[in-house]
Amino acid sequence: MDIPYTVTSRPDTGLYNAKIGIWLFLASEVMLFGGLFSAYIFLRVGADYPWPVWDLDVKLGFWNTVFLIISSVTVVMAWASIKLRKYTQYKLCMLATIACAAIFMVNKSMEYAKKFQHYAVKLTDGTILTGHLPQGYQVKFENVDALELTIVGSNKAVDADPVNHVLSSVVGDVPKFKFPSGEEKELNKATFGELRKSMRDAAFAKMQDERAKMIEAAEKAASVATTDFAKYEAARKLTIAKNYHSLSDTKVKLIPSAPLKIAAKPSQFFGYTDTSLTFVDGTIATGKLVDDKMTLEVDGVDTRAVAQSEKSLAFDHRYLGEAWQKAFVANRDHHIADFEKKYPTRDKAKSATLQKESLFYKEFHSAEPPAAGEAHGGKHGAEAHAPADSHGHEAHHPTVVIEKKDITFFSNFTPKLNTYYAIYFTLTGLHGLHVVAGAGVLAYFLFFNGRMLREDPEHLANRVEVGGLFWHFVDLVWIFLFPLLYLL
Amino acid sequence: MSAAATSHEHAHDHHAHDHHEPGFLRKYVWSTDHKTIGIQYGITGLLFLLFGFFLMLLMRWSIAYPGVPLPAIAEIRAIPGLGDAFESMFGRWMNADGSLNGEIYNMLGAMHGTIMVFFGIVPLGFAAFGNFVMPLQIGTIDMAFPKLNMLSYWFFFISCVLMVYSFFVGTGPVQTGWTMYSPLASTTGIGVTSVWAHGHTWWLTAMVFNISASLLGSVNFIATIINLRTKGMTWMKMPFFCWAMFVIAFLLLLAFPPLEVAAILQLSDRVFGSSFYLPTGLMEGGKHLDISGGGSPLLYQHLFWFLAHPEVYVLILPAFAILSDVIPCNARRPLWGYKSLVYGVLTLGFLSFLVWAHHMYLTGMGTMMSTYFQITTVLISVPSVVLLTCLMVSLWGGSIRFNTQMLFASAFLPMFGIGGLTGLPLAFAFIDLALHDTYYVIGHFHYVVAPGTIFALFAGVYHWYPKITGRFMSDRLGKWHFWPSLIGMNLVFAPMFIQGMAGFHRRWYDGGKYFENTSGFQNWSTTLTHKIGGFFGFNIPDNMLSLNIVMSVGAFILALGQVPFIINFWFSIKGGKKIENDNPWGATTLEWATPTPPPHGNFLFEPVAHRGPYEYSVPGHGADFFPQWETEQGKPETKPTADKALAKH
Amino acid sequence: MSDNIEEIQKSVRKYIIIGIALLALSGFTVWLSTVELPTHGLNILVGMIVATFKASLVALIFMHLNHERPIIYKVLAFTVAFAIVLFVLFIVSAQDPLVFEGFYNRNE
Repeated sequence: MDIPYTVTSRPDTGLYNAKIGIWLFLASEVMLFGGLFSAYIFLRVGADYPWPVWDLDVKLGFWNTVFLIISSVTVVMAWASIKLRKYTQYKLCMLATIACAAIFMVNKSMEYAKKFQHYAVKLTDGTILTGHLPQGYQVKFENVDALELTIVGSNKAVDADPVNHVLSSVVGDVPKFKFPSGEEKELNKATFGELRKSMRDAAFAKMQDERAKMIEAAEKAASVATTDFAKYEAARKLTIAKNYHSLSDTKVKLIPSAPLKIAAKPSQFFGYTDTSLTFVDGTIATGKLVDDKMTLEVDGVDTRAVAQSEKSLAFDHRYLGEAWQKAFVANRDHHIADFEKKYPTRDKAKSATLQKESLFYKEFHSAEPPAAGEAHGGKHGAEAHAPADSHGHEAHHPTVVIEKKDITFFSNFTPKLNTYYAIYFTLTGLHGLHVVAGAGVLAYFLFFNGRMLREDPEHLANRVEVGGLFWHFVDLVWIFLFPLLYLL
Repeated sequence: MSAAATSHEHAHDHHAHDHHEPGFLRKYVWSTDHKTIGIQYGITGLLFLLFGFFLMLLMRWSIAYPGVPLPAIAEIRAIPGLGDAFESMFGRWMNADGSLNGEIYNMLGAMHGTIMVFFGIVPLGFAAFGNFVMPLQIGTIDMAFPKLNMLSYWFFFISCVLMVYSFFVGTGPVQTGWTMYSPLASTTGIGVTSVWAHGHTWWLTAMVFNISASLLGSVNFIATIINLRTKGMTWMKMPFFCWAMFVIAFLLLLAFPPLEVAAILQLSDRVFGSSFYLPTGLMEGGKHLDISGGGSPLLYQHLFWFLAHPEVYVLILPAFAILSDVIPCNARRPLWGYKSLVYGVLTLGFLSFLVWAHHMYLTGMGTMMSTYFQITTVLISVPSVVLLTCLMVSLWGGSIRFNTQMLFASAFLPMFGIGGLTGLPLAFAFIDLALHDTYYVIGHFHYVVAPGTIFALFAGVYHWYPKITGRFMSDRLGKWHFWPSLIGMNLVFAPMFIQGMAGFHRRWYDGGKYFENTSGFQNWSTTLTHKIGGFFGFNIPDNMLSLNIVMSVGAFILALGQVPFIINFWFSIKGGKKIENDNPWGATTLEWATPTPPPHGNFLFEPVAHRGPYEYSVPGHGADFFPQWETEQGKPETKPTADKALAKH
Repeated sequence: MSDNIEEIQKSVRKYIIIGIALLALSGFTVWLSTVELPTHGLNILVGMIVATFKASLVALIFMHLNHERPIIYKVLAFTVAFAIVLFVLFIVSAQDPLVFEGFYNRNE
């Protein structure tokens, strides 16, 4: 039993099944990316911060465009070659397509990897400092003398789990802990499991005990009740008592045999005070806060959200200081003067590129700010310090130590940073998945459909055409993605 | 032809003569046969309908008797040993005294909506009936892509498993309503140790699978209808059932992707901490959240309702599809206005994409947009009325057979009418201001979907059951099923209009007990309830809250009414009355030309559509029906299937 | 598309030319984005027009939409119509001039 029209076309519609299928699928894909693009528009129109323009590596994006267009040509050539029965050419074209896809994905992953290492820190006045965190960011506690665990009575989402959530932040060797039973034991999955079980059993026994007492009391009340009302009340209480089922939470303290040092990443805790740190599993460590400052190697200052950009908190004497402020002001005024000369009638506030060039200062090519003379035109500064750039990029950025109270928000360049990066990662991520899937299908046709190529080339031509249609669609999406995310 | 095959009961049952019989797994589990897949979808859908219904019963208990322990809970808990085992499994779903609290009510509400819409009615109406009936009606041997069809079911199955599993994760399933509005849905339980401990993440993941399943299904349906219609089956000779399936498939194909986008973005908000739907400065519990902000909650609602309004038509069109077969067949009259039905359903499908924001009048969307959406919403009622009117007029002058499916079909017409007409006022923003999120809205859409679509689905089950199993379902049990259902449905949903206009909000877990002593809570309906209750010796107070008890009693009647159906459904497989021929209802469409049950490959002869699909009581023709496949001379010759597949070209 | 061998042979040349044109247009888009047009909105508009032109080249030539069957056109027409609805109504709802500001004017 064969389904009709898998190879040949139906006379009245002129189509074979798979072709209708792929076009319908593409229609659905149009709506998928349509939804994403309309989300992009919605977010951009409603953005309450300067939308990043030319923020990504345009060169990389451009080369990716080139590779996708080449692959689009080769995949349609592959189909034509199979129709013309030029099998070697078909194989070469398919290989080229898959190679282009691979290059595309390698470029993409390099672009992603860079973003994960790069951080932006928003200060209380709206200034954003970008750069790298050479030591990461950790909150450090000393003299931690107790861990207070909350073991919940029933299956809930937040339950004490110190083995997974606390021990990983302990600096140095983990000492033994004194358990409530009085023994000193190592804290590991097994010992903690035992502890949790004994606590739960105790809570359960307590509950049963309470229930029995309640029932007893209610039965006693029923036996002595004389009035109708008292009987009714006693019966009601008996029902409630019989239904009683409540496992209470228990708190347990574990005392380390020697005081602990803790260095916790922000993802590991809910919050902290000067004397205690609450981990995500609800465990509270008591000790002394020693360090919650953030060390940042600055490579950019974005003052677009600050009313008077030269007074930004970033140029406070604790942070970048006066010399950088001067360099920043010189750069800003230079760009504005340049713009006024070129476009005398235009509104400065409406030029996205001017805003970016003048208020997003990225001329951090050395740990020292460029001298006043050099700073006229950032280019000179850059050239002057170029040699320093070549060995070790990060080592030559100014390092600042930012106090916790000045930070409102920080994130690496991931979806968390702002809606632009959120939609950037979503769009390019989904597009990347399509590239991988499309290349996978084409690779399957190339490597596993050899027999079909010999015996039923027409069928394989249909397959390649359908796979090719999908591939062109992927290219088509990128044609819109590239300008929207990289250029405009 | 093998000798064994000829000795079969059906003399023509020799379809398997040159195929080896597939094993059990291939035949019933990993089957690519559209009929088996349809049955798989059907059983799963029915089970989920029952499950969703059970959740609703729990909710109704909480509304009518807030704070009162669930019935028999004390007895179950008192069973030695078993009681505590029960507790450790389900204890977290109840208060210490065995009643339900608001949090759990919210979970039940959210899951009831999700399960009924995405796991009950759509799989049953579209995937089950569509898969089983549509390829038969257009006279093809299978779907265009049988393997994708199987994949579609198994994706759906995975999404079912994930959705059910979300009941057992740390925080329990979602609590934010089936609409999952952000920012609430993006931030609830955000502090839990792992995103996978929160039911919401599972909900979103399940929906991604569900959407992929319906995407595969809809591509398959459309490709099949376009390319695999048999000889003579022109577009305008196609049964209305297939037209409706065609439109539904398009709605699913084009409307689901934006929901997928919405789900992906929400997942990103929860897992990666992005701010797609979170505005700047959002606070929770008096603290600023650790987010960048800059997003918009309105974006979620747009993306969600861009799907969810067409989804409403995905829910209701299967009903029209089924009734367009059931009503002419049992009225013994051609379907009235076939062309208007077809153009009506196409218009309906088109317009359904342009009306979504009438769910969003209260979002501060802007008056210009509101005006536009009010206009399109009123417009879309026109094709809906066309569909209903055509079905109603089809009854005129017919000699109606009131078997079970016809009872359900004829109850559908007024019930859907009530649901549709009560929706009209909601189309206007100024009325919606008052009625938004009240029980009025609940009453409106439940009248459309529950006594509407579900009645039609029941009609469909009774109608095609003989084709699937070769036996009838019991008519007597069917009537025991029908009458309690009709009474129960109306008891549940009619008082909702009264409560809604009194301002009862749809998400009160205690049914408005807080307002018990508010004045102005009486009217004729509460007095009536009070008096009837008093007559039977119950002391029901004379205020709006008593309607809660009426509705809950209605729900329990409805639950009892389903027992005969369940018995009927399972026992008739082996114990029902056998059918005498392959066309027991005397119907005209092609699915009745197949042997019963239809074999792999469906037809024994090459079906040709000689005439329109609804030729009943044709003047001058002997029988009162003239099937599509019969020539003027009579039945076509039967040929072995294998030859037929070749002969098709 | 046709299964005519000669036509396919001819179209191979066409594919390469279109590919080169697409590459050139990509370079043009990059250059265009560095030009300071009166408003940035205009930059976006011109960039999108070029992108749409490129996309239609891909769709018409590579995806053979210049000679496809009517039913495909019908399906795509509906899809494009709904996608446009999705774009336009989203923008309009974000920029609706008739927004009700509430009973208490914030600027009082």
